[in-house]
Amino acid sequence: MATVVGDRTFINGNLTGDEDLTVHGRVKGTIQIGKSLIVEPTGVVEAEVNVANAVVSGVVVGNITATDSVEILKGGRMVGDIAAPRVIITDGALFRGGIDMGEVKADESGLADARARAAAAKRGGGAPARAARPATPPRPAPRPAAARAATPPRPAPRPATPPPGRASDSPSAIASAAASTGASAPASPSAPKPPSPPGGRRKKILLKRR
Amino acid sequence: MANANTIIGSSIVIDGEISGEEDLVIQGTVKGKVALKEALFVEHSGTVEADIQVSSVEISGQVTGNVVASDKVELKSDGRMVGDIKAPRVLIADGATFKGNIDMER
Repeated sequence: MATVVGDRTFINGNLTGDEDLTVHGRVKGTIQIGKSLIVEPTGVVEAEVNVANAVVSGVVVGNITATDSVEILKGGRMVGDIAAPRVIITDGALFRGGIDMGEVKADESGLADARARAAAAKRGGGAPARAARPATPPRPAPRPAAARAATPPRPAPRPATPPPGRASDSPSAIASAAASTGASAPASPSAPKPPSPPGGRRKKILLKRR
Repeated sequence: MANANTIIGSSIVIDGEISGEEDLVIQGTVKGKVALKEALFVEHSGTVEADIQVSSVEISGQVTGNVVASDKVELKSDGRMVGDIKAPRVLIADGATFKGNIDMER
């Protein structure tokens, strides 16, 4: 009942029938079978294939249209397009080509399912995602905020220190202030924080001395 | 016969060429050409419309076409053949039908 193509047999042409076909050898052309095509590891099929089921452990070059399923097992290699409601590709199989499992499921229930899953994933995954997001930004956020808060206050004191304007009464104070600002100004780009306090201290010292 | 590596089942129709280096059993239909280095068995349900080149052939079914065998051609009692045979050994059993020429020269 079953048809077998041995590993040292080559069939070139059109093969039709209504029984299982097992290929250990090579078949080239077209295959139309109402049942299963089994391409064994040594089998090579270069054909347009029309079957109910196809199980590929060997090599298939060509398109397969199956009314039921196409299965590419470990070690199986296929180049071509598959049209079948069920397509199974096992780990270790090689495949290059297109797959068409039909349209109805993909457009309606299939898409709905996919959307539902996506939505569920967003809700389910959203909680951890939100938790993760707040957790990470807060850490960076405080740092810049602290840095900004720390830096501006210190620059602010600088203008506050120029109140050397207060000490503008004495030219030496102005000179010292200018010197201090001049010193602080070039120093500020490199290290803004340290120069200003020292400058302020110096000014204070000068004022105190006066 | 059962040990043959290639079997063409009874519901199978092949239109083209079969070549190989192993035994071939045909229970279905083959049209075109058969070229084997081993034996061909055309079973009762088998139909071959092809030019056949084999080592040997055993015909229990129907063969239409020319047969060239390096060893022998055996037409069984229920075998039917139309075509020419070229083989060193040709056996035709009682009950077989045959129409064509036979050349047994080597």
